[in-house]
Amino acid sequence: MKDIYEKLKILADSAKYDVSCSTSGTARRNNGKIGNAQESGICHSWSADGRCISLLKVLFSNKCVYDCQYCVNRRSVECERASFEPEELVRLTIEFYRRNYIEGLFLSSAVEVSPDYTSERILRALRMLRNDYGFAGYIHAKIIPGTSPELVHQIGLVADRVSVNAELPSEKSLALLAPQKKPEAIFAPMKQITSTLIERRALKGPGTMFKNDPLSLMDGGDGIPFLKASGKKELAVIRKQGIFAPAGQTTQMIIGAGEETDRQIIKVSENIYRPFKAKRVYFSAYVPVSDSPLLPDPSTPVPLTREHRMYQADWLLRFYGFRADEILDEKNPYLDPLLDPKVTWALRNIERFPIEVNKAPLEDILRIPGIGTTTALRIVRQRRVSAVCYEDLRKMGVVLKRAKYFLTCSGKYYGNSPDLNPIRIRREILGIADEEQLSMFRTGTEIVPAGENPWKGIR
Amino acid sequence: MLTEYIYDGTFEGFLCCVYAHYYEGKAGSITKVNEDSQQAFFTGQVIVETDEDKAMTVYHAIEKKISTFDLRRAYRIFLCDSPGKEMTLLNYLRFGFIKGSYVSNYHGNPIVRDAELLEKKVTRELDRLKGLLRFSVLEGNILYAEVEPDNNILEFLAPHFSDRYKSEAFIIHDLKRDRAVISKGGRWYISEFKPEDVPDLHDDEIRYRALWRDYFDHIAIKERTNPRCQKQFMPVRYWKHLTEMQR
Repeated sequence: MKDIYEKLKILADSAKYDVSCSTSGTARRNNGKIGNAQESGICHSWSADGRCISLLKVLFSNKCVYDCQYCVNRRSVECERASFEPEELVRLTIEFYRRNYIEGLFLSSAVEVSPDYTSERILRALRMLRNDYGFAGYIHAKIIPGTSPELVHQIGLVADRVSVNAELPSEKSLALLAPQKKPEAIFAPMKQITSTLIERRALKGPGTMFKNDPLSLMDGGDGIPFLKASGKKELAVIRKQGIFAPAGQTTQMIIGAGEETDRQIIKVSENIYRPFKAKRVYFSAYVPVSDSPLLPDPSTPVPLTREHRMYQADWLLRFYGFRADEILDEKNPYLDPLLDPKVTWALRNIERFPIEVNKAPLEDILRIPGIGTTTALRIVRQRRVSAVCYEDLRKMGVVLKRAKYFLTCSGKYYGNSPDLNPIRIRREILGIADEEQLSMFRTGTEIVPAGENPWKGIR
Repeated sequence: MLTEYIYDGTFEGFLCCVYAHYYEGKAGSITKVNEDSQQAFFTGQVIVETDEDKAMTVYHAIEKKISTFDLRRAYRIFLCDSPGKEMTLLNYLRFGFIKGSYVSNYHGNPIVRDAELLEKKVTRELDRLKGLLRFSVLEGNILYAEVEPDNNILEFLAPHFSDRYKSEAFIIHDLKRDRAVISKGGRWYISEFKPEDVPDLHDDEIRYRALWRDYFDHIAIKERTNPRCQKQFMPVRYWKHLTEMQR
């Protein structure tokens, strides 16, 4: 029997490739015992890789019957295996929480025996934490594809956030690399969760994406509509069961394990945001953990830049009013390694610029490269009482190095030359001298035509 | 001729300086009285006596003529540990008495900008410490945390933690200012505090510290090691009191 030290090491090691760590989206109060949750979330530490630690992120068990090629815990790999006892895990969570090491628990698991067997064990531990210890801190529970709907529902009633991992951005990759996981088994619980949230009138949606867009009731691709929102009386009855996943659901995809283009990945994200209204889609740069011939060679660098650019594109979707088709189109299926996707979009659509910061509506100001959501709101707030001048912009947080090419301030343009030539602007932003075409990617020393994969060999 | 005001370092005292600025003579500087030394007073310096009525007059004036938001903001700025914060705040309030509740809209104005920056220091540190504060469990199951915050934010930390640890008794000790939050059962107060009052560690404490350090080491992905990023989020000056950074 392994001691708690060994188990914690093994089960943290096995859980670390799960990305999500956020603790936002809900404000929970305790009933006189321990714990609360803050709407904005709280980070407690940052590990040596610079990723934040806010939840105790562990697997319940890493004994797996599946053999997904990209996974450190796949059945065929020889590694140390362990499982927590529910009491052990709960005690550890409480003791870490008392010391303010963590904001709560992120509980996932390998598939031990079967999805339902594993989910029942997860549920038992979470109920012990919530009911026996009165814990009101944050709980993020992983839903294992193939779990029965009743168990998914019960887990939702104790967790703040639930997530089903999409794992790979296409059916083809999934069939190749994780043949035991079926797309239907991934999307069914996602849909169930969204449906339950709609029924309870508790669906919030990602970022500000649906601010002006009513939560249209689409189906999730299977032709069966979502549940309808309940009336007042029914709602009162339903709510007595408990609160269901108040912080919504998320998912994650591995970047760089399959052959998908950036455009495909962004399109899949959009499809998860649109019908399922997931709060977040996380990306995980593939760390070569396997010598499987189906996967990138173990010497391949971890695609960190690509992951970073994907997240920038994701933010454009959620907070800046972009659609996936605007960020990347068929002719440009890859993001530019050297420039953020908003700049590349602006250069492709240069006829929409310059934008006058004192007149343009908020939606247009959000499209100016170098202006973020906070800054855009500041501009709109100030111009109600006083015109915004160029000197004000820097104080408000505008990155003028990029923004100056795309805006005017009370009619005056501040770029270096009044003709808006995208090739020249790109060159000036990057600080490079040569006559490079706009349709080319520069990846370190090499130059790749747009349309081809620029990410090979980039860290 | 501008007056150099000296006050007692309390928020009420500062509000009385604002009062004096309007009714007794424009302020050229506002400084906290130096308690340690026998301070010599120069001509042109005026000691402002803290008067509750005057303080409340200014307090209500800010709330009514500017806004509740700005009153709260003023208090946050006041807790900032930055030389010259008093004049920055006075300038902001003067501008506020002219512009009313719209004062916070002038993001590009240097007066507002300076105030925003000071406020940001306080709120950023508060957000950080909510996460980076570490408790140790002492004998008798008391939680004890040592902090050395740049700004005087104990009273903002107190409600957060006393709500969170309703079933616990805890102490948050500000080593820099010799003050501590004492909390039990969701209620709290702040008092003077000396380190000799602290009991010994609970028998389990070392074990849980070791477990946390193990977890901290194992959750990092080796292939992604990025110390710059780590330090950016978790500045080195906070490491002294972080269990996981103490080896």
